[in-house]
Order: sequence, then C-alpha cells, then structure tokens
Amino acid sequence: MTATAEPEVGKARLRKEDARLITGRTRWTDNITLPGMLHLAVLRSPMAHARIVSIDTSAARDMPGVVAVLTATDLDPDGEIGMPCAWPITPDMRHPRRPVLAATEVNFAGEGVAVVAARSAAEAEDALEHIEVEYEDLPVVLDMEAALAEGAPLVHEDLGTNRSALWVFDSGEAGTGGDVEQAISDAEVKLTRRFRQQRLIPAFMEPRSTVVDPTGPQLTVWSSTQIPHILRVMTAMTLGVPEHKLRVVAPDVGGGFGGKIAVLPEEMMAALVARKLGKPVKWTESRSDAMLTAHHGRDQIQDITISATRDGMVTGLKVDLLADMGAYLGLVGPGVPLLGAFMFNAIYKIPAYRFACTNVFTNKTLTDAYRGAGRPEATFAIERMMDELAAELGMDPLELREKNWIRHDEFPFTTVAGLTYDSGNYEAATERAKQLFDYDGLRREQQARRASNDPVQLGIGISTYTEMCGLAPSRVLGSLAYGAGGWESASIRMLPTGKVEVVTGSSAHGQGHETAWSQIVADQLGVPFEDIEVLHGDTQFSPKGMDTYGSRSLAVGGTALVLAARRVLDKAKPVAAHMLECSVDDMEFTGGKFTVQGTDQSVGIQDVALAVFAAHDLPDGYEASLDSDATFDPENFSYPHGTHLCATEVDTETGRVSIRSYVCVDDVGKVVNPLIVEGQIHGGLAQGIAQALYEEAVHDESGTLTTGTFADYYLPSAADMPTFVTDRTETPSTTNPLGVKGVGEAGTIASTPAVVNSVIDAVRHMGVDDIEMPCSPMRVWQAIQGGAR
Amino acid sequence: MEFLRPVSLGEALEMKAARPEAVPIAGGTDVMVELNFDHRRPAALLDLTRVAELAEWSRDDSVVTFGAALPYTRLINELGTDLPGLAIASRTVGSPQIRNRGTVGGNLGAASPAGDTHPVLLASDAVVEVASARGTRSIPASEFYLGVKRNALEPDELITSIRLPKATGPQQFAKVGTRNAMVIAVCSFAISLHPNESRAGAAIGSAAPTPRRVRQAEDFLTEVLDWESPQALPDSAKRRFGELVASAAEPIDDVRGSAAYRKHALAVLARRALGWAWDAYREGERSCA
Repeated sequence: MTATAEPEVGKARLRKEDARLITGRTRWTDNITLPGMLHLAVLRSPMAHARIVSIDTSAARDMPGVVAVLTATDLDPDGEIGMPCAWPITPDMRHPRRPVLAATEVNFAGEGVAVVAARSAAEAEDALEHIEVEYEDLPVVLDMEAALAEGAPLVHEDLGTNRSALWVFDSGEAGTGGDVEQAISDAEVKLTRRFRQQRLIPAFMEPRSTVVDPTGPQLTVWSSTQIPHILRVMTAMTLGVPEHKLRVVAPDVGGGFGGKIAVLPEEMMAALVARKLGKPVKWTESRSDAMLTAHHGRDQIQDITISATRDGMVTGLKVDLLADMGAYLGLVGPGVPLLGAFMFNAIYKIPAYRFACTNVFTNKTLTDAYRGAGRPEATFAIERMMDELAAELGMDPLELREKNWIRHDEFPFTTVAGLTYDSGNYEAATERAKQLFDYDGLRREQQARRASNDPVQLGIGISTYTEMCGLAPSRVLGSLAYGAGGWESASIRMLPTGKVEVVTGSSAHGQGHETAWSQIVADQLGVPFEDIEVLHGDTQFSPKGMDTYGSRSLAVGGTALVLAARRVLDKAKPVAAHMLECSVDDMEFTGGKFTVQGTDQSVGIQDVALAVFAAHDLPDGYEASLDSDATFDPENFSYPHGTHLCATEVDTETGRVSIRSYVCVDDVGKVVNPLIVEGQIHGGLAQGIAQALYEEAVHDESGTLTTGTFADYYLPSAADMPTFVTDRTETPSTTNPLGVKGVGEAGTIASTPAVVNSVIDAVRHMGVDDIEMPCSPMRVWQAIQGGAR
Repeated sequence: MEFLRPVSLGEALEMKAARPEAVPIAGGTDVMVELNFDHRRPAALLDLTRVAELAEWSRDDSVVTFGAALPYTRLINELGTDLPGLAIASRTVGSPQIRNRGTVGGNLGAASPAGDTHPVLLASDAVVEVASARGTRSIPASEFYLGVKRNALEPDELITSIRLPKATGPQQFAKVGTRNAMVIAVCSFAISLHPNESRAGAAIGSAAPTPRRVRQAEDFLTEVLDWESPQALPDSAKRRFGELVASAAEPIDDVRGSAAYRKHALAVLARRALGWAWDAYREGERSCA
C-alpha cells in the first residue's frame, strides 16, 4: 500500500457523495418503508387566529384506509407537552407553550389541528377534508409595531403582552467601549435609518419528513433534520422517552439552510402516534406545507443611528431591533438576533455601541435560523449605513470603510462588542477585489451614464463583511444562555485491513463532509483518500454530536478529527517501534509510515492496524486498539471576511435591476477543498442576492401566506444569476489547528448589502437613498418616483 | 376522477361530446397546478397527448397552422422564423421543462389574462380553430377571450389548431416580471408590423380582465407610420403610442404589482417595442433597397 504523495487538503476533489445524492439512489427519509407502516397527514388551520369550538373526526374515521384520526385530546390529554426552546435569552423571556397539535386555539395559519393515520399517504390526505373543525375568529395581529401598541390584540391572551423579551448590549455598561448616547449627541454628523429585513422562506430542496418505528427495543426516529443529536436529547426531554431508548437517524438530508434546525411538532406527533398505535408511521410534507409551516427567516425592523466626524471617523452606532418571532418561539429563534448583536460593528473600529432587540409575537409562522442567522441582518445594516454615511460626507464608500476598518497589523483586535477577532486582512481582499472588478473604470462609466441621462443607470455596491462562525465556544454560548455547548466530536476506527472509518458528530445535509473529512484524515494518517469512509447522522454509531449549522462543521468538527487522528498515531507509534525493534523515540511519521530515523526501515500505519487487530505480538501491557475519539471545543469563533463588489444596471423607466458583474474576494482561511468552497460561495451569493432582489414571504391582512408557492415566492433561477467572479485571500485562522474558517454562510451574509447598495448607488442622483427589499422592478420604480418628488 | 385517453381527434371529440365536463389536458402546466391546489376537481380529464394530429403543423406561402398541443419548444425551434413574435413570447414561458410540455392550446384553454402568448396572437390576427362532434368553426383571437379565465369555447368543443399569417414585418413581445424565468407577467405587450397592409397590430396582457387589442394605439400608428419611405419615429410619437396603450389597460392592484405600476410599465414597454420593431423595419427596407 502506498501512501498519498501530495497533500489531500487543498485538492479540488469531486465529492464522494454526489453520485448517490444527485441520482437519488440513496436513503432519503421519505424513501424508507417499514412493514406495516402507516402514513400521517396533518389538518392545518386556515385561520391565523381563532378559538377551536369543536373538532368532529367521525366522518374522517370512516374513510377508506383510515386507521385513526387523532387530536390534541388524544395525543396529549393533559396539555403537558410543549415544543422546546433552547435559547431563553433573558430570565424573564415569555415563552408560550407550543402544543404538538392545537387544542383550544390556533395562532397562525398552518398550525396543526388533527392528524390522520391511514394505510396510504393518499388515503390519509383524502380523509383530512372530512374532519369538521368549527373555529371562532379572534383578532389577528401581524405587524410588529401594531403588536406592541397599547391595546393591541394579543397572540397569547394569558401572556398579557406580545413582547417576548428585550435583550440589550451596551458597550458603556460592558466596559468594551464608550457611551453611545454621548457619542451621538457630540457627533458632527449623524444619520438615522430604518431598514426592514423582509420575511424569507428557507426553501430547502427536500421537504421535511419523519419516520418513527416503535416496534424495536428502542424508539427509532428517522428525520430529515440538520440536528439528529439535539433532536434525540430534545425528544427525550419533551416526550419523556428515556434517552437510551431513543435512536435518531438523519439519513441523507436534502438541504436545510437552517430550516431544519428544529424540533418539529410533527416529529413529536409522529412519535406519539406510533407509540399509541404500536406501528411505524411516516409523515412527509408537501411543498406547500413546507412553505407555510417550516420556520421562516429574518423579519426584523432595524432602527440604526450612526455618528461620525466630518472627516469620516465613525464615533458611535446604535441599533434598535424589532424581531418577529411569529406565533411561538422556535428552538433557537429568540437567539437569532443575538447572533447579530456582535456583528453590527463589523470590521470597523467603532468606539461606542449599543444594541437592543425586542422579540415580538405575531399571528404568523414562527421564525428561526436561516442561513447566516443574525449576521446577514447585522451586516446589511452596517454596510448600508456605511454607504449612506459616505454619501452624506461626499466620500467614496470604499475610502470611508478603509478609514474605519481594523488594519492588518492591529490583529488580534478586541471589538466594541467584546469579541476578539484573531486575524484578518481587509486591505488585501479589498485590493484584489478592486482589481478584478475594475472599480475605477466602472466609476467612470457611471459618471458617463449620469451625464448622458441614460435610462439605464449603473450602480456600484460594496460590502466589506466579516462574520463570526464556527459555532461556538461553549462558554460564550453559556454566557448567552444558550441551552447547549458548541463542541464537536470525532472518532476514528482503524479496521483490520487498514481501512478507516471516521465517525463525525457533525451531521451533513449537503455540505460534502464525506469528501472533506476524508481529505483531512488522509493527510493526518497518510492513508489513501479512497480508504476512508465517513459516517454521520445516526445516534447508534455516532452518539455524540452537536450537528451542522453556523458554519461550524469544519472549524469545530474538522478540528476534532485532527485531534482524534493524532491520538491514533500516538497509539500506533509504540506498536510500530515494537515491530521495527527500535525505541519509540527513534520513530518518525511521514506519508503514512513510521520510519526509524536515519534508516529505510519502516512500517505503514495500515500494517500497524493489522498487527493491533491480530494482537499476537504487541508491547507488554499494550491496550489492543488504535481507535480514538476526540472532542474539540473552540476557544474562539472563526472570522471569515471579504470584499464583495456588485455592479448593477438599473432601468430607471421600468425599475428592472440586472446584475452586470459580481466580484467577491473571500478570506476563509485555509481551504480543504476549493471545489466545495466555491460551491458554498456560489450558493451563498445566490441566496443573499435573492433577499436583495427577489424573495419575500407576504401575508394578507387575514394572516394568510400569499406567497406559498414557487410561482409567487420568487426563488431565483440560474437565469437570474450573473457569472460570479470569485477569488480568495488566505489568512489562516489562529483559532484552530487547520487554520480554517467557516464558509457556509459567508456568501449570503456579504451579498445582500452589496446588491442593495449597488441599486441605490445607481439611482442616488435621482433622490433615492433607500429601497425596501426585495428591490423588485415596481419597488425600484416607486422609489425613483418618490425621490423625484 | 376518470382519465380519458383518445388516440384520434375524432375519438377525442366524441368523448368531449359525451362528457362535456371533462377537462382537456395536454402539457398540464395549468391544469395540474389547479388540481394540485384543489382549485378544481373535474369529474374527468381528457388527455390529448396521444392525439397525433394536434401536435402537427403546416404552412403555405402566407399562413402557418399549428396544432393546439404543439409544445412551445417545438414551436420555437420549428416555426420561430415564420412566427417571430410568438417565438419571443414562448421563450419567456416558464422554464425549459415547462416549455417542453406547455402548449399554445393550453394557454388559450386557460385564458388567463397573464398567458404569455395571448398578446402576440391578438397583435398577429391569429384565428383559433375549434371543433366538436357537431363540426368546426374559426374564432378570431380578438373574439376568443370573454373574461377572466373565460373563453368562447362551447362545452363540447376542443381547440384544434391556431392559424396565423406568416410574419411580413418585425414583431416584438416584452413583459415585466420579478425574475427572468418561471415568472407570471406583471404586464406584457406585443406588437406586429404588417407592412403588406400598412398597419400594425398591438395588444396587452396581464393588464385587464382579458388580454386585449389596443385599437386606439393601432389607429394612431396607421396615422403616423410612413411604410413607403420609413423615417425614424420622433420620441414624441413613441411616447404618445405608449400613453395610448396604457390608457387601454384596466389593471388591478395585486400581489404582483400595483395598477399604477402596470400602466406605467406598459407605456414603457410599448414605446420601446415600437421603437425596436420600427427600427428593424427601416433597417430591412434599407437593406432591400
């Protein structure tokens, strides 16, 4: 067996998992069929707020194929079960119980009211319309400010308010900076803006699905989830199933974007029905239900004040947020705005900062994590403000940024929000981006088009972002009252034939863990890439894990892998020395081989594995196993950063926006697989651009979602995307041994403000200084009409 | 729900006569959406995909006739030169997958005000050929659309083919949508120049209860366009044309756009499309001369 010559890390390997994922010849949850399995369908409330007067299931029970029709009374007679929220951001946070099925009141359109179990999915679906529910209208509250007004209708009458929590960070009080009120009142220049982060729908490709089998020694739950490990703990705590009697499997999962960081009422419902009927059950949602009931993202109103000196030094930043929770609190929903709390100051040296967020209940689908979770909102606000400030001061927006950002020689740098950025090189990324973009040339063209009054104007938008990812140091999470830690685990098993099984606690749902993890282990152990199998997502063989979100898998889980591999080598070394009849101190390990220093005598790690398996001739007292586990808890986040430049052409007559060119230079530290990084950047850009130009979840005045299909919810297609120009600078992270930073969310975080800044830049001379997202043709046209007035 | 599968037009017409409530389905790009969302529950579906003659076309010196079930992709590839306006509009329909299945017959059958091909059919003097067990009749496009999603078909009739004059001059189609593909028009506009008749046809979509011709704007063009020795059109004339087109619209405010924006955007589309078409005509005349 030969060891790999050149390092695997850095190679643009095609992904191992793609063939099976692309062809669908794999195990998606909905592909699972068990003997005797019943199919579940959920009756959902068409009303956004109503009292349930009565539910009559008798006709539905007589429908063909129907085995049972169950309501809250059947599944949770005492009304004790509530869906978990793992992030009580303040001790006094109001947290209404979210039942598995609504018993007495529905609080958003789409809330489950009853469930049918039938022999086929079609029969279950058909029976739904024979359930008679009588509702009594309750007043609906949809707008956050209206919800907070005196005398507003209450989403949850018993709470006495629609305010869930108020969370504040103040640099003066925290000792990380000055007093922002003072800074603002002393300021030579100050600007106030209100931005609206529209509501978005995560729109993962695979709708959610869960299968529960109650017939074995354990209750087994398969689910299309990002978080099998957390789901296991939460299911145990929510339903009182002993944790050791519970096995959770996330088979191949078709995307999540944060939308599958959830403990679903449907998952709990399926478990309760399966136990009650003693049969396996499956619930798979339709696309329409996914749009309506899977948690939504963003939905904030941001009131921002920035203060500066006339020559462009930012002196203070004040942020007041309203965050729409929807009707209930999601698993981590209350904390999503907090993930932005430390990011509004971004890459800038701002001396005073205050952040306050009010979480609000409305009669809408709940919101929770969506790609970037908190950081896109923060990045949008600060990057928009920097452009507005530049316009106010008559400065070039890049120059203003450069004046305020943390210089390369100032790292590590502790920010006004209290985070310590370990590394960064904003100068290098910006310089490279400007070159690739032809910044000066495009500015000249912009001037020419303005001069000639061209109906199609050119705009240039900038976003010099950073973000905190690699969630997360457990102590930091603890200090923010998050319910769990942020470590990750890895296990490496050396098989007798020298092949390697890697078990990771980070559960992939499309990211390419199997490929990237194989590359890392191949280098660490010097075994061929093909000899490594990466296993994930089943608590039976991977009992420990914190799963995949927050761009954490590589920085945290990848590091755990390195630590485990080092332990394998530590265990192999004495065996190798024994086999070569030399001292452990004389051994060196390179390219998969232990060699006696200064000789050509060597033995490969894979041969050592066989020797340990046989165990015929091992050093005295040696414990016959190379298998190693490791858990890594980062001391700090990783901080990817970069400069994104976007040129848009805006048709001032129709309002149409076309992206002419998009350049991004990202610094994600060391790159394990450039192909995967490129894919993450492209997808991230598309999702961020989508927020800027296309997507918005809209409810009518009754609380009905009017954008519940892809015909009305404008997910962009390839035809809407420009050809991206991407490049990288490489400033290794110092917070992990691989030097890597997260990349899963960077593109989404960076691109939204770059695009919106660009659109506004194109029409600023027409009196426009803001356009609400998404910048649809009509909105752009209306803004121009408004500006001209 | 019954699924009827005729293999010939004759059989299809007999089935439709026997079951007038049966909903014809070809590409299914409208019907399946309605079924999926339970907006309608027909007792029967009449599948036309096996009726070969509905997917054929023929042409002579001046007229193209194509079957109602000819998919957009084939229309674009096989008839795009003769029917450029229809090809432009067809390219804006849905996605490649939808264009592989969707048909002009389906667009007509659904008669949605937002159907992409309607303005072109109106501007190009298309005739809709319909048949029933009782016989056939020809309905000019301008008499075909009766109301929101209502057309001139009798319950026992099927659309068999669409007949259009071959283009004798430039044709244009333009629409406003929120993205570049898979988008339902916020508003749309088509213009066909008919130099042989010294006139132009123009029509709007997604801006009134039905797609409609804009006759006042057409008459204005008859007055101002000099077909014999075509001159560059002054901006004021193009603008006036745009205003006349917009004034024929009766749009509504809905989730896709406000009435005010629709009217404004129509005026812009009309002005521009006229400019493109007229410039192309002048260019053609110059190169002929």
